[in-house]
Amino acid sequence: MTHAVDLHTDVAEVLLTENEIAAKVRELGTRISSDYAGRRLTLVSVLKGSLPFMADLMRAIDIPVRIDLMEVSSYGGSSTESSGLVRILKDLSASIVDEDVLIVEDIIDTGLTLNYLIRYLRGKAPASLRICTLLDKPARRLVEINVDYVGFTIPDQFVVGYGLDYGELYRNLRYVGVLRPEVYSEATDE
Amino acid sequence: MARQPVTAPFAHASEAEMSRILDFYGVRWEYEPHTFPILWNLDGNVVESFSPDFFLPDLDLYLELTTLRQKLVRKKNRKLRRLRELYPDLNIKLFYARELLALMLKYGRHALVEGMSGSSGQFALPHGMAAGSAIEQPTVGSPSGTGPAAEAIVAALAAAPTTARRRRIRTAADHERAARP
Repeated sequence: MTHAVDLHTDVAEVLLTENEIAAKVRELGTRISSDYAGRRLTLVSVLKGSLPFMADLMRAIDIPVRIDLMEVSSYGGSSTESSGLVRILKDLSASIVDEDVLIVEDIIDTGLTLNYLIRYLRGKAPASLRICTLLDKPARRLVEINVDYVGFTIPDQFVVGYGLDYGELYRNLRYVGVLRPEVYSEATDE
Repeated sequence: MARQPVTAPFAHASEAEMSRILDFYGVRWEYEPHTFPILWNLDGNVVESFSPDFFLPDLDLYLELTTLRQKLVRKKNRKLRRLRELYPDLNIKLFYARELLALMLKYGRHALVEGMSGSSGQFALPHGMAAGSAIEQPTVGSPSGTGPAAEAIVAALAAAPTTARRRRIRTAADHERAARP
């Protein structure tokens, strides 16, 4: 049986409109193209949340780019109980040795996943490793990370849309919105 | 490897959960390794001190978690201010209740959300056990409760897996008792 979820009514407030996101992505693309002018760049997207951002950002960059995808297990997922350690669910499909690499993230909050990824990717000897995130939520930061490209710094609210999910839903919203607290408090009452 | 070599008897469920999160992401931690004096009497004796919950050596960062009510948070904030005045080079982050709860929601730990608030969270799960999940055997090299006391806790938790659930059951039973003639 399908559980009925009204995506838009579950959103209390639109934090970033589709137009605002598109303008920011163009701006980031221009900056990245300028910073890496004359070089080839490998964009590494971290599944699944950064997919829409990656798709738009790569088209806003006008230097040669390669793309690759990675997925790591998240704490609280099914793998947590089995191993208790983060796992690479999908590794890079090509070598990044001596390549300029830009990690493309949807959101950085605690920085724990990114900290793990940085350590992992540095071990693969890239020429350079930088980070680009659409959203930065510094209030939650546990691990201080130098983020090279930040789209928006947002307040400590539960956001969904443009790739960001709650319970694997809402990723397909074209905007970033604040999820109504009732939606996740209902889950805690179950 | 982030697994810790010593036993860490956590005072609160939130601390146990944080240790599991740090382990998961390969961040080394030490539980309350240092105590900082923050107030002395006229004789020079320490009358107040502060022991941050975690020290993350690779990040040179202390973590203090709180699930306390606002009134008590103010007291903790005051201690933290004093700590920062006396030890300005100390890198310390205070995690408030709302930040911890948001973290639990992010990781889908719904069963922990209620149980981590206030005094109901004081009954900490031994390290290596996730609330609301199947009980795991402690991994070699990880801090975990050992001995009869820990086994008793494990048995108790096996019967009632989450703090939140236990509290609900007790409340319902109390009401039932109160309604009897």
